[in-house]
Amino acid sequence: MKKRLISLLALTLSGMLILGGCQKAEPQPEENNQEEVSEAVEGYIPASDPSLNPVSGREDTLVIGIDAPEEVFNPLYWESAYDKYVVDTIFEGLLTVDEEGLPIEAMAEKYEISEDGLTYKFTLKDGLKFSDGSPLTTEDVAFTYTAACDPSYDGIADFVNVTKIKGSKAYKEGTADSIEGINIIDDKTIEFTLEEVNADAVYDFTTGILSKAYYGKEYSQGNLDYIKAYHKTPLGSGQYKLIETKAGQEVVLEANENYHNGKPNIPNLIYKVTSTETRMQLLQTGEIDMDMVTVNKDNVDALKEAGFLDLHIFPTNGYGYIGMNLENPKFQDIKVRQALAYGLNRQEIVNAVYAGGFADVINVPQSKESWAYYAGDNKYEFNKEKAIELLEEAGWKVGDDGIREKDGVKLEIKFTATSPNVVNDALIPVAKANFEELGIKFEAEQMDFNAVIEKVNNMDFEMFFMAWGLTPSPDASNVFASNGSQNNTGYANPELDALFNEGLKETDVEKRKEIYKEIYQILNEELPYIYLYQRRDMWVVNSRVKGFENQITPYKDYPASLYKLTLE
Amino acid sequence: MTTYLGRRLLQMIVVLFGVSLIIFTVIAMAPGDYVTSKANPNMTEEKKQELRESMGLDKPIVQRYFTWMKNSLKGNFGDSLKFKQPVISVINTYVWNSFLLAVTSFIASLIIAIPIGVVSATKQYSAIDGIFTVLALIGISLPAFFLGLLVIKFFAFDLKLFPIGGMTATGSNYTGIQYWIDVLYHMFLPFLVLTVMNVGSLMRYTRTSMLEVIRQDYIRTARAKGLKEAVVIYRHAFRNALIPIVTILGLSLPGLFSGAIITETIFAWPGIGKIAFDCLSTRDFPFLMAFNMLMALLTLIGNLIADVSYALVDPRVRLK
Repeated sequence: MKKRLISLLALTLSGMLILGGCQKAEPQPEENNQEEVSEAVEGYIPASDPSLNPVSGREDTLVIGIDAPEEVFNPLYWESAYDKYVVDTIFEGLLTVDEEGLPIEAMAEKYEISEDGLTYKFTLKDGLKFSDGSPLTTEDVAFTYTAACDPSYDGIADFVNVTKIKGSKAYKEGTADSIEGINIIDDKTIEFTLEEVNADAVYDFTTGILSKAYYGKEYSQGNLDYIKAYHKTPLGSGQYKLIETKAGQEVVLEANENYHNGKPNIPNLIYKVTSTETRMQLLQTGEIDMDMVTVNKDNVDALKEAGFLDLHIFPTNGYGYIGMNLENPKFQDIKVRQALAYGLNRQEIVNAVYAGGFADVINVPQSKESWAYYAGDNKYEFNKEKAIELLEEAGWKVGDDGIREKDGVKLEIKFTATSPNVVNDALIPVAKANFEELGIKFEAEQMDFNAVIEKVNNMDFEMFFMAWGLTPSPDASNVFASNGSQNNTGYANPELDALFNEGLKETDVEKRKEIYKEIYQILNEELPYIYLYQRRDMWVVNSRVKGFENQITPYKDYPASLYKLTLE
Repeated sequence: MTTYLGRRLLQMIVVLFGVSLIIFTVIAMAPGDYVTSKANPNMTEEKKQELRESMGLDKPIVQRYFTWMKNSLKGNFGDSLKFKQPVISVINTYVWNSFLLAVTSFIASLIIAIPIGVVSATKQYSAIDGIFTVLALIGISLPAFFLGLLVIKFFAFDLKLFPIGGMTATGSNYTGIQYWIDVLYHMFLPFLVLTVMNVGSLMRYTRTSMLEVIRQDYIRTARAKGLKEAVVIYRHAFRNALIPIVTILGLSLPGLFSGAIITETIFAWPGIGKIAFDCLSTRDFPFLMAFNMLMALLTLIGNLIADVSYALVDPRVRLK
């Protein structure tokens, strides 16, 4: 009986397999060329019912959730974004940045740029003090910038090669014992002279100022190693002072009564370490007052439902892109690159990863929020026929195996993907299917982030996906100029190089806009990258915190506004 | 015994040298280094070169190895590239948190798993055995993040019995007993997750080992000689069945210090697991060397402890 049952089962199963195989593949109806573009949700979404707020008994403390900082709390040495938040809370610079990304005065009462654009003169406000009461003078400012140019300085800030303070290179190389371009005129006035005109150098004067008495007592040229010992016990002139740091758990701060804009309203501030998996719950129980949460439909709906949480959703200052190795002959023809852009359904990828309209397809390497932004004349909307047309024009004809070939070379693309990565997970299948229809063979190899970077740096790749974070400066010469330090495609266009130079030298904003418009037109037409998307960031704030409205933007991080906030 | 120990220690030193060479070469060969991991769009070529020089990354591998070896023998393991603090101090800050979590859940797993394993073996194929086996397999198969999130949702979010994460209450300043109560309160959920995951496999080991022992002739002899069943099982069989467990204890030593990265990440528990992983992604050379050497050392010590305790516990074994 048992044997009969088994043989019957086997027969049925094999029958199903045979019948299943017989079914002819139905030709799919032609899909709509345009993927649905959902309405983007953006801006400031206030809480719908603040009375639901569960927080109680914490009227004098603000709790902000962050990923674990590395505890390098020094404006010249921080490297992780979370260390930066703490640094921006404890330290203050000569200037700061407003909501639009334009420089405004902070500890400097005023600043002037000379006629020739080379000299920056700063006048400090009266009565500036560090949080321990000691006075802050131009000695401290000079010390900060000198230390950053020291031969033994091993942080990321680069005033020598980027800002090009006059004489900083000689100081760094040890051939000079002071920096020519840093001039203390008196206690409150200091002048910086640069080697060349640089319209964006002004942003380098937002760096936090170190106390010479505290950080500089052991300092001598070439001897800066000792400063590491002070990373966990910083002294600044910013909004809050550090009380305690518990590694991997929290950073506890207190309002600085000597802050130049007045003592912050909220007496206590705690940065609490949270994990991606639990920050939603921590916000919903009110255990933390704010945090940055991944923007997707589920999260946004859940947060709106809570009722007592304000949402700040804005475009990230950065973009995702697909890079191609332009030293590889098959990518050297513009028509091929444009064909790939037309033939890849970028909207579908974006919808898959950032469902709910939380990312936009872009066509230029710049954030929509930048004053220099120009949308690009060609939108490269998904169009298979146009892509095929361009490939044919470029001389790539379909071979017997369905793959295009030209001069004996097959059009195959090897894609180097970082793993894990949610965008690659969506991109690879879409690209494979789309390119197959164009007669291109697309294969992906996966490896960890660092390995991909290494391959890209050695130009040992064909195509990859990556993203850039941007700064308020629109200058992208590092990436797109002929020998740019971050040029990872091998792109070289002398016309563009000249325009980048002009863009940095020109100080009139309207004229700069024109220059950058030309730059983006070229980059849009020539496609050294296939630009993919600009996504959103979301900050979630408990409605009891007042004062953040319109203060969190792609250019102005929240720490800049902490002193103005109040708790209800 | 002393000659044996002496010989083993000498062997350990040789092995450690060899291990240091292998680890160093493998990390050095991995594509990318700390500077490439920064991937900063505003970094100039000169800056990259400067950073590499200051980190000693521009020197040839052999020279770097000998520099590292020379410094380490003096006790200087260098500064972490990521934390900019001495590596030893970074490890020291985080490893004890992982140890606390790991050792408590390990002990709890033993206390739960061994009796269950013994009962399961003595009542093989019964309903009790079936239930325990199924539970053990569930415990083994549940992924850490799933169990972690489930436990958080249920105990912390819905029932509000335990905190959602962290090691201490926000902004607290407890000392002494109050501090430890606070830590234990925060530790309960991650402890639960780790225990559930470990109990399963320990229980299966015990059960298998016990079953094997019960089949032995000397157990039949004991029964034939008229000893009570309880004495047979718990005096004779059990002690012999513990032998493999004892060796497992020794081999688990490195695991107690390596940190449970997934569990620690979910519960925002400041352990060494996540730190080690991040340092791996950023190729933080000094940290990776020190941490891996620590693991190697603990593995060797663990092996030694396992071998020695095996000889002590099992009278049939002679150490040579």
